[in-house]
Amino acid sequence: MARREVVICGGGPAGLAASIELARTGAKVLLVDENRRPGGQLFKQIHKFFGSREHNAGVRGVDIGKKLLAETEALGVEVWLHSSVTGVFTDKRVAVLREGETKVVEAEKVLICTGGAENSLNFEGWTLPGVMGAGAAQTMINVNRVLPGRRVLMVGSGNVGVIVTYQLLQAGAEVAGIVEAAPKIGAYGVHAAKVRRAGVPFYLGHTIIRAKGSGKVERAVIAALDNWKPIPGTEKEFDVDVVCIAAGLRPTSDLARMCGVRHVFVPELGGWMPEHDDGMETSVPGIYVAGDTAGVEEASTAMDEGRLAGIMMAYRLGHLTEQEMREKKEEVSGRLSALRLGPFGERRMNAKRRITEGRA
Amino acid sequence: MERHGLVYDGFPSFEEIREANGRPSAERLAKGPVAVCECVQQIPCNPCEGSCMKGCIHVGKPITNTPRIDFDRCVGCGLCAAACSGLAIFIINMAYSETEATVTFPFEYLPLPEVGSRVQALSRAGEYVCMGEVVRIQDIPKNDHTVLVTVAVPGEFADDVRTMKRAGAPLLPASPRAAEGKESLPDDVLVCRCEEVTAGEIRRAVRRYGAGTVTEVKRRVRAGMGLCQGRSCSKLTMKILAEETGKRPDELEPTTSRPPIRPVTFGELAKGGRMDE
Repeated sequence: MARREVVICGGGPAGLAASIELARTGAKVLLVDENRRPGGQLFKQIHKFFGSREHNAGVRGVDIGKKLLAETEALGVEVWLHSSVTGVFTDKRVAVLREGETKVVEAEKVLICTGGAENSLNFEGWTLPGVMGAGAAQTMINVNRVLPGRRVLMVGSGNVGVIVTYQLLQAGAEVAGIVEAAPKIGAYGVHAAKVRRAGVPFYLGHTIIRAKGSGKVERAVIAALDNWKPIPGTEKEFDVDVVCIAAGLRPTSDLARMCGVRHVFVPELGGWMPEHDDGMETSVPGIYVAGDTAGVEEASTAMDEGRLAGIMMAYRLGHLTEQEMREKKEEVSGRLSALRLGPFGERRMNAKRRITEGRA
Repeated sequence: MERHGLVYDGFPSFEEIREANGRPSAERLAKGPVAVCECVQQIPCNPCEGSCMKGCIHVGKPITNTPRIDFDRCVGCGLCAAACSGLAIFIINMAYSETEATVTFPFEYLPLPEVGSRVQALSRAGEYVCMGEVVRIQDIPKNDHTVLVTVAVPGEFADDVRTMKRAGAPLLPASPRAAEGKESLPDDVLVCRCEEVTAGEIRRAVRRYGAGTVTEVKRRVRAGMGLCQGRSCSKLTMKILAEETGKRPDELEPTTSRPPIRPVTFGELAKGGRMDE
């Protein structure tokens, strides 16, 4: 059986950042990712990030991804691409499907950072081709350079819905409108203002009730809501060939669940998620989580949570002194707190505090 | 009551901009190029602060503070407008000519307009305001594809113009048509795509067979047992269960997670396992 000090499941922003922190201390790390290229969702983030300089503010996500990759390469992190972790066990053995074989790797520490999954929405016609997750549309335009359609209806006004709307416009599609069930726009106002001045209307207090068409989406119907129920007679019909669903994400934590990690239900962070301490360790000793798997937030927070997990694992493995660990942990925790300030971050900050203090 | 402001309209109102101290005084505006900052929410972001060569933008700590610009020292250079990740800073020059002002805005669409071309100047709501002439394009590598476009417009529209019509964009979105009567989610709508399980079948599993958890629904009708292992449908099934049983979302747990979480053939499973080094 192969042995590594640490196996990292998922090579997105959290996994890459963790691998860098670990490799810097000399830890023997294996990073496993399903895709042909690591980076997770970073390579489709073509907008400039928020935050401050330490958070790479003002840099486009795709360029942050390139920087992380270059660092992992320079540090000689071992990366298995096109390989799926199919199981993680309590004794920290990790099953990896690679080149047609299931390989079992024995690790001292395992980091599970498999990201999040987009929530679906059920309505008549939601299985018609042309209905897709907003994240899927983003992958099509920004990674594969394929326009999913000519005219799009976006459902959901959170940051994902509004950012993808902007990028669809940049890619040359029309966006007929952004539909939001809540009475307010969910995204950062600056993102909303970008698409509003590009002529995209918001339909607040509305939801999609139907997609219509023969064999593919040709029209979509929305209706106003009263107490979350559609009001008859308020339907509006749009001539669109794509409906994008941006109804939030939830943590992907199958691997953590199967090895017995205690889960808690935290609506602010996407629902069921692994409980973890302020060093990202779960209720199963040696199993760590980071990024959207540890509660849905943003790429910037994912990177810092990955770093935090990396630092803690390196310390537990004896690659960092307690003093070094404390200094690094304090620096990263400070950056994380800064990202969770303000009216948008406050709920996430409080939720994270509840989890790490074991009150969730 | 009609409610206005950034979270309702998608753009900040004049009051919100004024309250965030984003707008220079009329006196200052009359003197020449100056930044107008339409960042009115407390979000963690501060690239503008470091971009100003004269150090006249202050965010400080916490970084969720909205930026404060020292308008008297601001020369309207535009560095902050290109640095703002939220594209929320504009440069206004009310002293451009006797009758015209210029508005400089960040623009991230292709094709770029040409200097000298006449363009449709649009408002924060994307509505036509007036015609304008492109007088300057700043597309420098440092700005990483955030291009600054300067458009000359009649002075009275300088407060309204915030962008221009993109090539090929419809000016106003076509208004939606009214449609026929509405129905609730019918029985024949698919919930689990992999196993082709409908909403009706799931409701029947609950009503007739007393399934009260996602796992029980799965055992009865196979929802969530397909290729994607419930990635799409587990949350949808929970929603139907919540409606049918009155349970809260935190009372409805996902199904048990077991390896392998990706499809693996018996061959792939049997072949591996030993990996001696």
